[in-house]
Amino acid sequence: MARLAVENVSVSFGGIHALRDVSFDLESGAIVGLIGPNGAGKSTLLNCISGITRPDGGRVRLDEVLLSALPPASVAGCGIGRVFQHPELVVELSVRENLMIACHRSLNYGLVSELLKLPHVWAAERAAARRVDEVLDRLGLSESADLTIRNLPYGHRKLVDLGRALLMEISFLLLDEPIAGLNEIEVAKLRDLLLRLRSDLGLGILVVEHNMPFVSGLCDRLVVLDLGQLIANGLPAEVLSDPKVMASYLGEDA
Amino acid sequence: MTVATDIARSRRRSLSLGAGRLLLGLCFAAACAAPFVLNGYFLYVLTLTGVFALVALGLNLLTGYAGQISLCHAAFFGVGAYVTAILTQKAGVPYLLSILAGGLFTAAVGAIVAVPAMRLRSLYLAIATLGFGVVLQKIIFEWRSLTNGGGGLALDPPAIAGYELGATGLYFLTLAFVTLGLWGAWNVSRGRTGRALLIVKESEIAAGALGIPAARFKVIAFAISAFYAAVGGGLFAYLVRYIHPENFSVGLSIAFLSMVVIGGLGTIGGSILGAAFYVIIPELLRGIKDAPGLVFGLLLVIVMVLMPQGLWGLVRRLGRRT
Amino acid sequence: MIANLIVGGLAAGCLYAMVGIAIAIVLNITDIANFAQGEMAMVTTFFAYWLLDSVGLTWWEAVPIAIFFGLVQGIVIQQVVIRPLIGSPVLSAIIATLGLNIVLNSVVGLIWGHQTYTFPSPFAFSAPFMIGAVPVSVDSVINITAGLAIVLAMTCFLRFTWIGLGLRAASQNPTVARTMGVSISRSSAIAWGLGGLVGGIAGILVAPSLFLDTNLMSALLIKAFAGGVLGGLHSLIGVFLGCLALGVAENLVGAYVSPAFGEAITFIIIIAVLIVRPEGVFGRVRVRKV
Repeated sequence: MARLAVENVSVSFGGIHALRDVSFDLESGAIVGLIGPNGAGKSTLLNCISGITRPDGGRVRLDEVLLSALPPASVAGCGIGRVFQHPELVVELSVRENLMIACHRSLNYGLVSELLKLPHVWAAERAAARRVDEVLDRLGLSESADLTIRNLPYGHRKLVDLGRALLMEISFLLLDEPIAGLNEIEVAKLRDLLLRLRSDLGLGILVVEHNMPFVSGLCDRLVVLDLGQLIANGLPAEVLSDPKVMASYLGEDA
Repeated sequence: MTVATDIARSRRRSLSLGAGRLLLGLCFAAACAAPFVLNGYFLYVLTLTGVFALVALGLNLLTGYAGQISLCHAAFFGVGAYVTAILTQKAGVPYLLSILAGGLFTAAVGAIVAVPAMRLRSLYLAIATLGFGVVLQKIIFEWRSLTNGGGGLALDPPAIAGYELGATGLYFLTLAFVTLGLWGAWNVSRGRTGRALLIVKESEIAAGALGIPAARFKVIAFAISAFYAAVGGGLFAYLVRYIHPENFSVGLSIAFLSMVVIGGLGTIGGSILGAAFYVIIPELLRGIKDAPGLVFGLLLVIVMVLMPQGLWGLVRRLGRRT
Repeated sequence: MIANLIVGGLAAGCLYAMVGIAIAIVLNITDIANFAQGEMAMVTTFFAYWLLDSVGLTWWEAVPIAIFFGLVQGIVIQQVVIRPLIGSPVLSAIIATLGLNIVLNSVVGLIWGHQTYTFPSPFAFSAPFMIGAVPVSVDSVINITAGLAIVLAMTCFLRFTWIGLGLRAASQNPTVARTMGVSISRSSAIAWGLGGLVGGIAGILVAPSLFLDTNLMSALLIKAFAGGVLGGLHSLIGVFLGCLALGVAENLVGAYVSPAFGEAITFIIIIAVLIVRPEGVFGRVRVRKV
């Protein structure tokens, strides 16, 4: 049972306070939605957790490990997976090849072994290929495995991005606006997929989204940011009827 | 490239693998037979092609895979040449060992050059490497006690285990290094490092999110490519037997880059083709002094605009049609 | 003595700055680093030479025509080589301009060969100005004046004229600029034309002292990039100041530390600056939204 803790995190860019003293927890097996109007600081918060942005105040911890002191690659190595708003895949490669990239950390051979293609390298590559096949299966992408990303529809690209995160043996998954650009069927599939990932793998999931029905149907808890501050943290039904939350979305006169 | 061609391509892959291996074997056999068929001059040209192919293979890893521009590879080439020459000629170190030492030393230099690369984007990196190239060339020029500066270094023929290497011997040594280099580059391109470089090129942030530290891999890419260039330099020094700092200027760095680009950026076969092209064209256009430059320059522009896959891409497309 | 070095450094710096400003204009408006800027200037200078030598014009007649040629050359190159490259990665554009560099060098070599020509200057035999006790050659005065004039003219043009505003809008946000009626391709052509024009002026001013041959601008190009990077390529004033600093530093280091390393040490300084502050001393950091 692991816990991802955001503790009093503050971030300023120039004179702008993107985040002000934000604190909340994410446990394994929980699905938490991070919502708020545009410019509230949601992406900044994800970037703080991923190690892309260093908080000016406060810290991010994974149990005892201080994530906010680590560079992004090390944060990922601790088991924090990140899916970005716009998937950045290697366009000339196939789905399978892109997923193999994500097996990087599990392939433990050194450079010299790689240059000489020693036997244990062959074995490691085969094992990684098997894991890629498993993930392709789980995501329903097996038929598209050899398609080049260039020829892949947008919804599938987002799935490949998710696949990359899964291949990293993660305990927590951060998703930035995962359903943007997806049609209704794809949204429903993603929702089911996330729920299955939670029940099969025990992942803790943090989802940044604008779409209220999606988020209240999926998440156990909602955390609301407005202008960098956390204004609500609780069950979806409570949060969505909270007057502060409604005011932040609809303006003061609501 | 449509979905249909993707599917057809993966089916054809198993067929072409056999054909490809046969072709490779034939090329290798032809390469081994070459010294017994060609005269001294053509053998020299072929050896030079091998030397440049080695540099191009390394540069392709850096620029084609990791997406980092280097305008100082001539300097790495030169450092390798001089270290090999000095160790062999002045310190009596066996030739092969000198080449290896030159390679490792230059790899370290490459890693140092990579330090600014970790923070700089394409254009600034290109300029920084330009600067490094100038500085390295200057150091070679000024360190007269070691390198004989502007006077250049004249070298005795190399020897391995007591046997002097003539033109044929040096050719086979170069062939051996090119084969090893090709094999190593092929393995890396199919391994975690090659894949890591590709994602680093695409997006450093995506790479970080996948646990791949972009900075470290840029350094690795620089070091490997510098190693390849230096080994090429060590062979070059004893091919021409007289090296001079002027040999290793920015112009040569641009030439190396054009080999990789015209051959086909990101492809291993392209590195060989590009090197061959670079050596052969001046031979064909002999007499018209600026014609080779014109052809290369035009090709660089044309390849970038019209056929980013380069010559290798052209060859593959022709191969697909037959 | 030191005053001499500084004045000489400033004059050299102004030459670098002119090429640097040409590069900066093109870079800021079209996002392409033109590694062929020096060779383009060299072509313009050879054209001026042809006007002076074969056609028999005077310096004052030939130079404005040549400068206009530089403008046209820039536009033509943008239309033929650069326009097809819009949207490709930075690497492609850099390589294409390197190719252009080689092409221009070869074309000039084919027409004029690689020997050295003498390029006349109407100021060659003028007596130097005296500022206090320091003799300042007329060349230096002209270079510094031209440099200042160009940086001021370009800055004012970009900031205060409609065309200039259009150019800046096109570079910052092409989509919105289009809706406002700014033609992106025309802005790109104007930018490259200006680059060719300014580069041409630099070439014509430097040719008398460095002698005209195909290598005229290559060293200048590298210095222009180096100084521009030092000051920050995204600001014209930054480029100007960076190149001035480079020119002065070169002279001072060359005189007081080591003549051989004068050039190399300035590169080392610049690389050090890049490590500490990659966007240059006066540069602005461009933040990318993730």
